[in-house]
Amino acid sequence: MQCERVRELLSPYLDQALPAQDRAVLAAHLESCQGCARLAADLRRLARSLSALGRQATPPSLMLRLRRALAGAQPPVPGRSPRPSCWSSFWPRPRAAGWVPRRAAPIMAACALTAVATWWLLSLAEPEARLQHDVLAAHMRALLQASPTQVASADTHWIKPWFSGRVDFSPSVTDLSAEGFVLLGARLDYVGDRRVGVLVYRRRQHSIDVFVWPNPSNKHRAERVVVRKGYTLVTWTRHGLSYWAISDLDAGELNTLQRLL
Amino acid sequence: MSSLPRFEQLALKHLQAAYNLAFWLVRSRPDAEDVVQDAYLRALRAFQNFHGDDMRPWLLAIVRHTAYRWLNNRRRAGNVISIEEAYEAAATRDPAEPADQAPNAEARLIGAVEQDYVVRALAELPPAFREVVVLREIEGLSYRDIAKVTGAPIGTVMSRLARGRRDLRQALIQLLAEDEPNAV
Repeated sequence: MQCERVRELLSPYLDQALPAQDRAVLAAHLESCQGCARLAADLRRLARSLSALGRQATPPSLMLRLRRALAGAQPPVPGRSPRPSCWSSFWPRPRAAGWVPRRAAPIMAACALTAVATWWLLSLAEPEARLQHDVLAAHMRALLQASPTQVASADTHWIKPWFSGRVDFSPSVTDLSAEGFVLLGARLDYVGDRRVGVLVYRRRQHSIDVFVWPNPSNKHRAERVVVRKGYTLVTWTRHGLSYWAISDLDAGELNTLQRLL
Repeated sequence: MSSLPRFEQLALKHLQAAYNLAFWLVRSRPDAEDVVQDAYLRALRAFQNFHGDDMRPWLLAIVRHTAYRWLNNRRRAGNVISIEEAYEAAATRDPAEPADQAPNAEARLIGAVEQDYVVRALAELPPAFREVVVLREIEGLSYRDIAKVTGAPIGTVMSRLARGRRDLRQALIQLLAEDEPNAV
């Protein structure tokens, strides 16, 4: 066998991929030819170096990364188009007949309705709650003072003019001592970001504050009773004025006052 | 469908082989990771076409295809050869040696130098030869499996392997000659 042919076959020879006959011939040649034997030895050493090199170390994070990527890409089910994600049904698809997919329409309508209703309720409830808070705080502050009044008089013709020039409205001031509500006087206070008038009554030992200010929306609102921190609040509107009566009296007695005023 | 757990069970045990081939084709660690991920996603999509008991050649064929696609896409930006990383890998490799035959410092240094040369020479081999050498010498695949991975006939695999080994030896002789002053 020629050296050139031997060198061509050395690689499969070293892999033991040669037919038995060729292998024997090649082995015999390597016994006798020093040059070819040196080449074979080099190639063997090379093969050992390469297998000693081993695989490149796989980064430890790669396994986790692959699992995540695979989990995010489910294989297609044969014969079925991939199912759209739950989000895609909420967005208009290029060739969808309507702008909103039929299935999503009721959901979207419900969402919109809920949002509007929530906004509406909040817009109603929030100022109301703030007013209740302000009225309660003003009443408590007044109770802490030595006197809940700035002007002390049971004379309605003294109280009513006192308000003019101090507030831009004229509350109705009634002497109700015959009905057990003694007018102690009046003061100014600050409720709902505005200056308001306060009529102070007393029934037995209970102090009653009646806050008065112009009704901003000019809408008539039905009388309401709420109880906060043990205090009863009654609110009503009359002749364009909002009235808030607060006391530790029960609601029945406060309602009596409301009817009389 | 239950094909994902089955795919993971079959495919993830060949992750080291997949990463090794990807690394030797694109010659960069971060890029090899990207190639492997892309290849596994492709393999998952094509999983229904896999029939057989040995997944490694099938999977490596996809890794190889993905790597070449990736290299083609990158060709415009110039061929980025990351031999430094191959060096680094060889230098930081910690060969597990039996305690009773721990080599002296000199022998160990020579071993490390040789490995550096091998890595460099292999990285510079043209890809058609590099891939068959890697698949045969590092991965230990049979000619038949290498033919499956590369899509080439067995005869072509044999001749490329012969040529690859010869060129690699030549490259090593040249590298050693160039660095001889340093080695001595």
